[in-house]
Amino acid sequence: MPVKTPFLLEEATEMEVSPVLQWAAFGIFAFISIAGALGMATTMSMFRSGIFLMASFIGVAGLFILLLADLLALLQIMMYIGGMLVMILFMLLFSGDPGGGMMSTHMRLRGPEWFFSLGLARSPSGTDGNNANDSSDKEEDQRDQARDSHQEEGEKEESNDMSMFTPAKRGAAGLALGIGVLLIALLLWRPHWAVVAQMPDPDSPRRIGHLLMDKYMIAFEGAGLLILLGIFGAVLLQRPGKYPDSAHREELRAAVEDAPAPVKTDPLKPLGLDRDREK
Amino acid sequence: MTSVLATVAALLAGVGLTAWLEPKWLGANGERGPASPVKIAADVRLTQPDPWLYYAGPVIACMGVSWAMVCIPFSPSLVGNDVNIGLFYFIVVVDFVVLGIALGGWGANTPDSVESCYRAIAQLIAYVIPLGLAIIGPIMMARSLSTVHIVEAQANAQLWYLIPQPIGFILYVISGLMQVYRAPFLEPFADPIGRGVLSVFGGWKGLLWRLALSGVLFVVAAMGAVIFLGGYSGPFLPGPVWMVIKTVGLMVLMIWLGRQVRLLSVAEMLSLSWKVLIPVGLLNVLLVGGLILLGAGQDPFSPGGGH
Repeated sequence: MPVKTPFLLEEATEMEVSPVLQWAAFGIFAFISIAGALGMATTMSMFRSGIFLMASFIGVAGLFILLLADLLALLQIMMYIGGMLVMILFMLLFSGDPGGGMMSTHMRLRGPEWFFSLGLARSPSGTDGNNANDSSDKEEDQRDQARDSHQEEGEKEESNDMSMFTPAKRGAAGLALGIGVLLIALLLWRPHWAVVAQMPDPDSPRRIGHLLMDKYMIAFEGAGLLILLGIFGAVLLQRPGKYPDSAHREELRAAVEDAPAPVKTDPLKPLGLDRDREK
Repeated sequence: MTSVLATVAALLAGVGLTAWLEPKWLGANGERGPASPVKIAADVRLTQPDPWLYYAGPVIACMGVSWAMVCIPFSPSLVGNDVNIGLFYFIVVVDFVVLGIALGGWGANTPDSVESCYRAIAQLIAYVIPLGLAIIGPIMMARSLSTVHIVEAQANAQLWYLIPQPIGFILYVISGLMQVYRAPFLEPFADPIGRGVLSVFGGWKGLLWRLALSGVLFVVAAMGAVIFLGGYSGPFLPGPVWMVIKTVGLMVLMIWLGRQVRLLSVAEMLSLSWKVLIPVGLLNVLLVGGLILLGAGQDPFSPGGGH
C-alpha cells in the first residue's frame, strides 16, 4: 500500500459550496431518484418504465457527486445510459403493447399509476381513457382506433392478461414503505458508524486505479475473464446451427437479406456483392 | 460564471460554424443525414406523441452537448472547467445525445421515428468500445484524464499524439463518425425512413435538434484536436485560434473521409466494430504501452515521467 498523501489545501480545486446549495442539490437528486423509482414501478409503458429507472439511477449518481465520488458517479451514468437503452430495446422487441396504450386506456388507473401513465396513446376522439371521472362505457367502443406504432411490435388479439397489474403491488408498496421507515429510524437513532475524519482524496481515480490494479487485481481480472467468457458464449449460441430454422425465421431472414432500397443519388459504384445484383 | 458564459458562447459559435459549413459542403448529392434541413419556421403536428418524452428528447440531447463543451480547453485559462477526469466525463455526457434521440424518436410515435430510435440505440453499441480504446492511448501517454494536462503534456514533449499513435487516431475518426451520425454511419437519419427524428420535430424543437446534431460533431472534432493534435498549442498564433483551426480541420477531414465510402447499415457497423475496430483498438493499446516503455511521448517536466 502506498503511503497516503496528506490532503493539501493547495491541491483542492473544488469550489466551496454553500450549505443551502448543498441541501438544494441533495433535495433535487433525492427527488429524482425516488420519483423515478415510483414512476418505474407504476407506469403502464415499458419504455417509460425503463427511462424512469434510468432517471432514478442518474439521481443516485448526483448523490455520488455530492459525496465527491465523481468517478463513481460518471461510471454509474455511463453504465446505466447504455445499459438501460439496450435493455429497453429488447423489452420493446419482446413484449406486446410496449407503449402501454392498451393498458392505460382499458384500466381504471388512479394515483401514481394514473399520473405516470398520462398521455399514453390518447384516443383520437379526445376523451382521455385514463381519466377516472370519465364514463368508461365508451372505452370499449373506441377499441378500433388507428393503431400507432407503439403497438405494432408483437400485437396481440384481445388478451385480458393484465399481468403487469398484479395484486401484490399494494403489499410491495407497504413493504417498501416499511423498510424506508426503518432506515430513516436508524438514521435518527444515530448508531455509532465508523466515520473517517479525513477529507476525501481529490484524485480519487488514481486511488481507485491503484486499488483495482494492486490489491484487488485477481478479482478484477477474474471478473474481466468471466465477462469475456459470457461474450464468447453469446456469440457461440447465436451462430448458424445445423438445425433448420422455422419457416417464420426463414421469412425474416429473407427480409433482412433482401437488397436494400437504392439510394437515389449515390455517386459511388456498387460494391459487387451478391445483394447488390438486381434480382 | 464567466466560464459558463464562455462555454455557451464557444458552443454557439461552433454550432453556427458547423451548421453553416456542413450543408454548403455536402451540396445536393447523396444523403445528408443529420445535416438535412429541419422545419424551424413551422411546427410539426403529430397525431399521438408521448407528451413527456417528445419534448424531453431535443432538450436532453442539447444538454449533453453543452455539458461536453465544458471540459474542452481553448487556452490554459479558457476552459469551462478543467475537470480532473475530463476525458471520461466527455465520453459519458456525449451519450446523452443518444438518449435524446431515443426519447424523441419514441415520443414522436410515428413508425419512422421509432425506427430511428431503434437504430440510434443499436449504433451506440457499435461505437462506444472502440471510442474508449482510441482515447485510452493519449491518456496513457499523458498520465492524466484532464484535457488541459493532456494538451500541456503534448506541448512539453514537443509531439502531437497523432505521430506515435496513428492507429488510435484513425480509430477515433471512425468511431467519432459513428458517434456523430455522419456519413457513412447515418442510418438513424437515413432518407428511406424520412430522415428519422428530424422530420417529426419542428419549431423550437427543430432548432434544438439542429443545435444538438451540429454541436455533437463540433465537440467530437474538438476533443479529437485536443487529444491527438496538440489542442491549443502551436507557434506564432494565440491558443484559441490554433484550437479553432485544428477543430475545423479535423471536422472537414472526418466529413470528407466519411463521404468516400458507401453508407453502412447498423448491422454492418456492428460487425465492423466487433470484428475489426475492437481488436485493432486492443492492439493499439498494446503498442502504446510498448512505446511508453521505450520512452516515447514522455513529458520531461512532469514529476512521474522520464524514468
